[in-house]
Amino acid sequence: MNEIRPLSANEGIKTRSNFLRGTIAEGLTIPETGAIADDDQQVTKFHGIYLQDDRDLRAERGRQRMEKAFIFMARMRVPSGLLTPAQYLAADKMARERGNGTLRFTTRQTIQFHGILKRNLRPLIQGLAQEMLDTIAACGDVNRNVCAAVVPWRRAGHAAVTKTAEDIANHLLPHSRAWHEIWLGEERVAGGPEDVEPIYGRTYLPRKFKIGVALPPYNDVDAFAQDLSFVAIEKRGKIVGYDVIAGGGMGMTHGERETYPRSGSVLGHCKPDQVPEVAEMVVTMQRDHGDRSNRKAARLKYTIDRMGLDAFIAGVNERLSVKLEKAKGFVFETTGDRLGWSEDETGLHHVTLYIENGRVGGAMRDALRDIAALNIGRFIITANQNLALSDIPAAEKDRIAGLLKKHGLDGQPGGLRRNAVACVALPTCGLALAESERFLPSLVTLLEAELAAVGLAEHEIAIRMTGCPNGCARPYMSEIGLVGRSPGLYNLYLGGAHDGTRLSKLHAIDVDGDAIVANLKPLFADYAKDRKKNESFGDYVIRAGVVARTNNGLDFHDNLSAALTVWPEI
Amino acid sequence: MSTGVLLPPGAPFAPDQIAALNGVFGNSTGEQRAWLSGFLAGVVAASGGGARLAAPPAPPKARVPLTILFGTESGNSEALAQRARRAAAKLGFAVKLADMADTTPARMAAVPNLMLIVATWGEGDPPQRAVDFHEALLAAGAPRFEKTRFAVLSLGDRAYVQFCEIGRQMDERLAALGGARIVDRVDCDLDFETAAASWIDSTLDRIAKESTETVMAVEEAVTADFGAAETWTRANPFAGEIGEHARLTGSRSISDTRHLEISLEGSGIAYEPGDALGIVPRNDPELVDAVLKAAGLAGEASLRDALRDRFDITTLTAKQAADHAALAGTTAPAADWVVGRQVIDLLEAAPHKFSPQQLTTLLRPLPPRYYSIASSRKSVGEEAHLLVAGVRYEAHGRARAGVASIDMNERRKSGDKLDVFLRPNPHFRLPADPSRPIVMIGPGTGVAPFRGFLQEREATGAKGKNWLVFGHRNFMHDFLYQLEWQDWIKEGLLTRLDVAFSRDQPEKRYVQHALWDARDELTGWVKDGAALYVCGDMAAMAKDVHEMLTNILSKEQLDQLRRDGRYLRDVY
Repeated sequence: MNEIRPLSANEGIKTRSNFLRGTIAEGLTIPETGAIADDDQQVTKFHGIYLQDDRDLRAERGRQRMEKAFIFMARMRVPSGLLTPAQYLAADKMARERGNGTLRFTTRQTIQFHGILKRNLRPLIQGLAQEMLDTIAACGDVNRNVCAAVVPWRRAGHAAVTKTAEDIANHLLPHSRAWHEIWLGEERVAGGPEDVEPIYGRTYLPRKFKIGVALPPYNDVDAFAQDLSFVAIEKRGKIVGYDVIAGGGMGMTHGERETYPRSGSVLGHCKPDQVPEVAEMVVTMQRDHGDRSNRKAARLKYTIDRMGLDAFIAGVNERLSVKLEKAKGFVFETTGDRLGWSEDETGLHHVTLYIENGRVGGAMRDALRDIAALNIGRFIITANQNLALSDIPAAEKDRIAGLLKKHGLDGQPGGLRRNAVACVALPTCGLALAESERFLPSLVTLLEAELAAVGLAEHEIAIRMTGCPNGCARPYMSEIGLVGRSPGLYNLYLGGAHDGTRLSKLHAIDVDGDAIVANLKPLFADYAKDRKKNESFGDYVIRAGVVARTNNGLDFHDNLSAALTVWPEI
Repeated sequence: MSTGVLLPPGAPFAPDQIAALNGVFGNSTGEQRAWLSGFLAGVVAASGGGARLAAPPAPPKARVPLTILFGTESGNSEALAQRARRAAAKLGFAVKLADMADTTPARMAAVPNLMLIVATWGEGDPPQRAVDFHEALLAAGAPRFEKTRFAVLSLGDRAYVQFCEIGRQMDERLAALGGARIVDRVDCDLDFETAAASWIDSTLDRIAKESTETVMAVEEAVTADFGAAETWTRANPFAGEIGEHARLTGSRSISDTRHLEISLEGSGIAYEPGDALGIVPRNDPELVDAVLKAAGLAGEASLRDALRDRFDITTLTAKQAADHAALAGTTAPAADWVVGRQVIDLLEAAPHKFSPQQLTTLLRPLPPRYYSIASSRKSVGEEAHLLVAGVRYEAHGRARAGVASIDMNERRKSGDKLDVFLRPNPHFRLPADPSRPIVMIGPGTGVAPFRGFLQEREATGAKGKNWLVFGHRNFMHDFLYQLEWQDWIKEGLLTRLDVAFSRDQPEKRYVQHALWDARDELTGWVKDGAALYVCGDMAAMAKDVHEMLTNILSKEQLDQLRRDGRYLRDVY
C-alpha cells in the first residue's frame, strides 16, 4: 500500500500551467497550424475548449499535404441552463459566424459550438462575453456546469433550485484570471498578487466533477449519475433542505473490469444555506483523496468505493461546520422532460420543445433566433438536450404558439423518441468508436415501428446512445442503453430504471442496428403482453429475467446472462 | 610577351596581312587567343563553311546602328526582341537591346533607328515594368524624336476590348513627337509568331535599304543564351510524362487545385525558379463535338483532331463575330455581346452550315497556357511541379471549363504525357545575393513559384531570410502545401508565415490585410534589404496588394524598389 505511484501526466501539465495559462496565448497566434501544443490541449479544457479534428476528413488529409482538419469545440458555462433571449441570440450569432453553423444543446444544460477554427476562438468567446456569457470550467478537472431541474411550471421551486445551482457554481468557480487574460485580453497586473485557488489548489481536481440539483418527482438531471447531487426536500410546497447524493458517474473502459459506471450513494441531508459548504467539502475530499496516478480510477465514485462509503461520509462531516443529517428520502418518477405547454402558479406560461439530439441548425435555428428576437421570457436548456421557453406572459402565448406551429417546433414525437438521448460522437469527438448522434434517430425510427406494432407507440421508454463507453449521454442509466464498440457495433444494455435510480446490465455484445432491433422486438412484444400496471420497461426486463438487476457500480459487470459469461475481449 | 606563335609564311594571307596578324598574335595572351579561336570557329560554323574566309570582305564602313526596345509582361515581347536582335546581327547591324524597365524616352530619342516591341496587358495597361517609360513618353515634357526613325510591333489579346492599346499609343506618340515611321505598326493577337516574324524582316529590310551606312553580313558567335531549352517550343513541345497527380484542396473545397509532377527527363529543359512552363492543352472533346454540331458539320476524324488540338474553340472576339456574320449572312451582334461568351454561343445563336475550311478560318489558333513552375531542379531533379486550379464557372446559362486547367486536372492522369515547353521569366528570379531577405506574397496558386524559391534556397543553403504571405478561401480545405511550409518553418528555412483566409469569418480577409497587420515587420524587412515578390491574379489580388504596399511603404519607396529590382511581380 505504500508503493509510490507516479502522478499521471495531466498532473504535471496542471502544475506547470501556471494556473491554467500554459502557452495557449502564444499558440493561438501560430498561423501554420490549426492546432495548439499538446499540453495546452489539456489546459484549454479548463476554459471549456477542446481541440478536435473532423474525423470524416482524416483519410484524405495525408494525400492533400495538409495536417488533420483541426477544429475546436467550445462549451459555455450556463448554470441551470438559463439564458436570456439576448444571450441565446449571441450564441446563435457566434455559431453562425465562428462555428459550423449549428448549436448543440448538451446533457449538462449548456450549448456547445463545433467546428471552430483556431483563429475564430477569441472572436467567438468575445462575442459571448458581450452578453455576460463565459466558457470557464465547462470541461477539465474542475466542477463543470451545474445542472438544475427544468420545472418552470413549479415557479417557486424552480427559482429555488436554480438559485442553489448558481450558488454552487459561483462558489466552485476557479479564481484564476487565465480565461480573462487569454480570451478577452485582460492585462495581467505586473507585480500583482499571486494567483490563489482557495478550493482547488494549483493542480485542481484529479478528474472532472459534475453536480446537479433535482426537484422530485422530476429527475431530469439524473441525480444518481452525477458526482454530487442535491435533491430538494419540500414541506408544504417549500424547500426545507436537500438530500445529498455522491459518487455517481458513467465512464468506463471496454474490457477493463475495474472501471464501471456507478449510481450515486446517499450521504445525508443538509439545510439549503449549507449547500455551497457541503459541495465544497465533498469537492475537497475528492481533491485530497482522489487518485492522481490513474485517471481511469480518479472519479469520485472510485474514491468512495476505495475508502468505503461510511469513511467517506465521516471525512466530509469532519470538514463541515454542521454535520449532515439523516437523509429525508424522496421519490422520482421520470428522467424525461415534460414536453409542451404548462402554466405556473403566477399565471406565466412555459413550453418545452423537443430538439432531436439537441442539435439546432438550418430552419430550426432560424426559427429559434426569430423567437429569441422577440425578447420574451427565458430560454432554458434541459439535461435531456431539449429547450424550454419559459416565463411567457399570457398575452404573448398565442403569438409564441403560432410561431412554433408555423415552424413545426410544437411537434410531440412518440414515447421512445422523446426519451432518446445521444452524445455527439463522430465526426468531431476524438473518443468516439462508433456513430451516435448521426445514427440514433434512424434506429429509433425502426424501433418505433416495432413498438407501434405492439401498441406501445406512446409508451415512455428511455433510450440513450453513446459512441464510446465514457457515457456522456448517461447510457447506463437508461432502460435501453447502447454504447459504441467499433464502427457500426454497439453493446446493448437493459434494465435501467425509468426514474434514473438504477443502472442497467449488459445484454448483448457487438450488435449492429439490425441485431439491436432483432434483440428488442420480442422483448417489446412480451412487455406489451405481460407488463404489470405502471411497470416500466426497465423494471419489466428484470422481473422477466432478461437481465439481472444492477444494485450499484460494483456489481455492474456481474451476473451477466449465460450467453455472456466470457468477458468481451477488446 | 612573345610566345613564338606566328602564322607560317604559307598562310593564305598577303605578306602585309601576315605581318599585321603576327603583330597581334605574337603579343596576345592565352585567353585572347582562346577567345579568337572560339570566335572564328563560331563564324565558320554559322556561315556553313569556310568559303568566305578565302575572300575577306572589304574593310567595313560604319555599321548601321539599331536599337530594339521592348516592354514585356509575360516575356513574349522580350523573346521577339531577342529574335529581332539575332536577325539584325546576322544582317550586320550594330544592334543594341533595351528594356523599357531600364531606360528612358530621353535616351531613346538619341537613337537613329528604333524598333519597339511592346505588350498590352489586362484592360489596356502597359506591362508593369514599362509603366515609368510609358508615363514619361506620354507626358507633356517628353523629348522630341526628330532624329529617330521607328517601327512599332504591338502585342495583345483580341479577347480584350483595349486590344494592343499601348502599342497604338506609343506608335502615335512617337510620330507626334517628330519620329519618322519606318513601317506601319503591326498589331498581333495571341498567334503573333508569323506576323511578328514578317514585321521583323520587313523592318530590317527597310532600314538596311534606306541607310547610308553599310550592313555587313556577319553572324554572331553562338552564345549561351540560346541553349537546348530553345529546341522545345509551342510548335515543337516536349512530351513530358505526368508522375504524381494529386488533389491538394480538401473534398469540401470550392476549388479543385492539383499538384502535377511533369518529367522533363531527356528534354534538357533547364528552368530556373520563377520560370513558367508553357502547356499545349487539348480542348474538351465534348465541346469539340458541340462546336461541330453547331456548325452543321459531321466532323471527320482529322477535323475533330484539329479542333481538339490546334484551334481555340472557346475565346470569342468581336472580329470573329463580325466574320461569322459576314459568312452566315446575318447581322453581327453588338460589340459587347461577345463579352463572357464563347464560340459555341455564337454558332448556336445564329445557326449556319459551314464548310470545314470556313470554320477553321474563323477560329484562332489554340494558344498555349503558362503555369509558374512550383519546384527547383536542385531539389526535384529533372522534373517540374505545377499547381493547377481547375477553372469552372457558369456564364450566359452554360457551364464553362478552363481549357488547360480542366484538361490537366481532369482529363490527364498520372502516366499520361503533357506537351510542354519552357518560358523563361528572367524578371522574376531570386536575388543574386543569397543573403538578401525575400518577402513572397502568393495567394492561391500564386504560391507556386515560391515553393520553387524555397526549394532552391534550401538546396543552395542560401542564408537570406524568407517570409511567405499566403491566402485562400478556407484554412481547413485550401491550405496548399501546408505540411511543407510547416516543415520549412521547423527547419528554419521559412522565417515567417502570414496567412489570410477569406471565408473563415464574417469579414473578408485577404493577403493585403495580413500585410497591414504585419506592416511594422514589413518595413523592417525592407530596411534590411528585402526584395518583395508578388505572384497571382492581377485583378483580384495584385492591385490591392500594390495599394497596400503603397500605403505601408509610400509610393516613392515602392517605385524605387521596383527600379532597383526589389519589387517583382508575376501577375496574370
